[in-house]
Amino acid sequence: MQMNNIQKLSMAAAIAAAFAFSGSSAFSAETLKLGMSVPLSGAAASWGKGMEWAGQKAVEKINAEGGVKAGGKTYMLKLIVLDNKYNAAEGTKVAHTLINREGVKFIAGALGTAPTKALQSISERKGVLLMTTAWGRSVKGPKFPLTFTQANTPAEVLPQLYGYIKKAHPDVKTVALFNPNDASGKEIEKDARATWAKLGVKVIISDFFERGTTQFQSVATKISRAKPDIVDMSSGPPATAGLVFKELAVQGWKGVKVVAAGTAATSFLKTGGKAVDGTYLGVASNFDSATATAIQRSLSAEARKKLGEPMNALFISAWDSVMAIKAGIEKANSANPREVAKVLPKIVFASSYGPTAFGAAHEYGSPQQMLVPSIVSQIKGNTVVEVARSVPAELKKKIEMAK
Amino acid sequence: MELAAQLLINTLQIGVVYVLFSLGLTIIFGVMKIVNFAHGEFFAVAALLMAVLVNTAADEFGLPLWVGYAGGFVGAVIAVLVLGLIVYRPAFERYLRDLVGSFILSVGLLLLLQGILLEVFGGVPRVVPRMGDNTISILGGRITELRLAVSLIALAIMLLAYLLIQRTRLGMALRAMSEDHEAAMLQGIRYRRIALYGFLIGSVLAATAGALIAPLTAITPAIGGDYLVKAFIIVIVGGLGSITGAISAGFLIALIESIGGFFLDPSLTTVALFMLVIIFLVLRPQGIMGHAEK
Repeated sequence: MQMNNIQKLSMAAAIAAAFAFSGSSAFSAETLKLGMSVPLSGAAASWGKGMEWAGQKAVEKINAEGGVKAGGKTYMLKLIVLDNKYNAAEGTKVAHTLINREGVKFIAGALGTAPTKALQSISERKGVLLMTTAWGRSVKGPKFPLTFTQANTPAEVLPQLYGYIKKAHPDVKTVALFNPNDASGKEIEKDARATWAKLGVKVIISDFFERGTTQFQSVATKISRAKPDIVDMSSGPPATAGLVFKELAVQGWKGVKVVAAGTAATSFLKTGGKAVDGTYLGVASNFDSATATAIQRSLSAEARKKLGEPMNALFISAWDSVMAIKAGIEKANSANPREVAKVLPKIVFASSYGPTAFGAAHEYGSPQQMLVPSIVSQIKGNTVVEVARSVPAELKKKIEMAK
Repeated sequence: MELAAQLLINTLQIGVVYVLFSLGLTIIFGVMKIVNFAHGEFFAVAALLMAVLVNTAADEFGLPLWVGYAGGFVGAVIAVLVLGLIVYRPAFERYLRDLVGSFILSVGLLLLLQGILLEVFGGVPRVVPRMGDNTISILGGRITELRLAVSLIALAIMLLAYLLIQRTRLGMALRAMSEDHEAAMLQGIRYRRIALYGFLIGSVLAATAGALIAPLTAITPAIGGDYLVKAFIIVIVGGLGSITGAISAGFLIALIESIGGFFLDPSLTTVALFMLVIIFLVLRPQGIMGHAEK
């Protein structure tokens, strides 16, 4: 039968539509879901909110630049962020939702050792690649080939931080440790104790508190009467750390203040007030200053407007983990997490700090640690001032070899 | 002497908020024979509103802090009063003297309110700008002016609540309902009206505790849950429905926390408190001041 012109045009349109919706890689992109398990409520909520924001910014940048290309396909990223409330029970629920219900294959950030362990017990079995900021040493090692840490942890932070403090205050001899009573706190306490001991500083008090505690008068009385030279709230969340130092100041204690996991969140300054002036922080940085890279300064300026506080090393790790996942997928030429996990230790990729790699096999038994500068900061007035920075020697070597 | 003074001052600071919070819970149980798990959310609403109102008064309107504090306190208490009315009539009134029904209802209400608070206020801790931050010394123990003021105000409210229950006709009616509601009704006491008043008084006490604690800590929607656990310990140890029991037990728990936190690890003190509850449930289930049920 002869077709008239309208019929011919209709046929052509139908064929064109069939190509457009056929899923051919030449014309369409798939969605690749990235998950995040972070606290969005409670004392550590500022950490989770910041990571969510930074992770989302990285996803938007990658999608705007055309997505992730691998295996002849293009992937647009979608970030799914759920609240783990910084405990194992909620972390387990989040893990099931992300992995079993949402089908996520890449976790771009998990905060908190307890919820991360809950997530890891599923992710390793199900072949899901996990990026985490968890400070517990027990989440890393050859037994967990799909787990990588996206920010500095005690092995990277404490020697530099405590070493700087001992140099700046050579007369300090005693320290009181005060940590949350959970997996994070217990693991960090061991590392903190060992690191201080190497510097000849004796631990005279080591106490634990339940997350969610709001009254610290009694422990402040105990600590202030023991008169330690240093009080180290290694893994205390920002708002809580501020309350503790405030109460210590009321009860007359004067000494060196340390928050190893300190990010100088606004809530730390607000709850602590003048009492937190001079505090040394292990995971903060002034990302507004000349020592930061251009992308870090830009993100920090935007974070001030959107979050009410500047970027810090924890927030920026979410950006870096998304970039690492993208680089790994493209290098492996596959979105299979196991293939990506094999190539990650071999590549140098562009993070917010510049060229970055994974390493530290000598410390953990496998190269799972993102190698980023270790920065010591101090609060002076209302400002975070960077006082020391060191770039891992292994990273310098890997960058040289990549050239 | 200095140490003893400091530990007593710590006990006072901790105890006053615990007592106010648990007084409300015990009044509600005493009169209505229901356990209100959503009591902590009334506390949280007041604390969050106090943070919002004081900050708004200072930042948006440039008002002096004391004006923000006063307005925030009144606003927070009124808001919780309205919330209490909203949840009482359609919900709790239908489950008076029904332990199982009211348990399920209050747990559901707790989850609903927690979700709403998280959505409206967000999860990031809020802080009330401080005033009266200077430290003063009492017999060698140290406390800030603000904490001392809060403690004294809380003690005054506690005294008012005690006088209300012990010396007024309303208080007499509440006590009569608590002891024998059928006999009280035979005497002409209107049960439903008194139950409503009891619920509102309990909610206002929770709100007062929340508004008073707000300037002293970082507030999140989850803050109510932490205090609720302590309040249940206090109410069980003090005796369900007993005002003097709640006051005694509140300060006892605060003393244990104060001394335990000093001599032991704070996390061990929490274990000690639960051990105390178990001991009371086994040896004296009616609590310090409660009456054994026939």
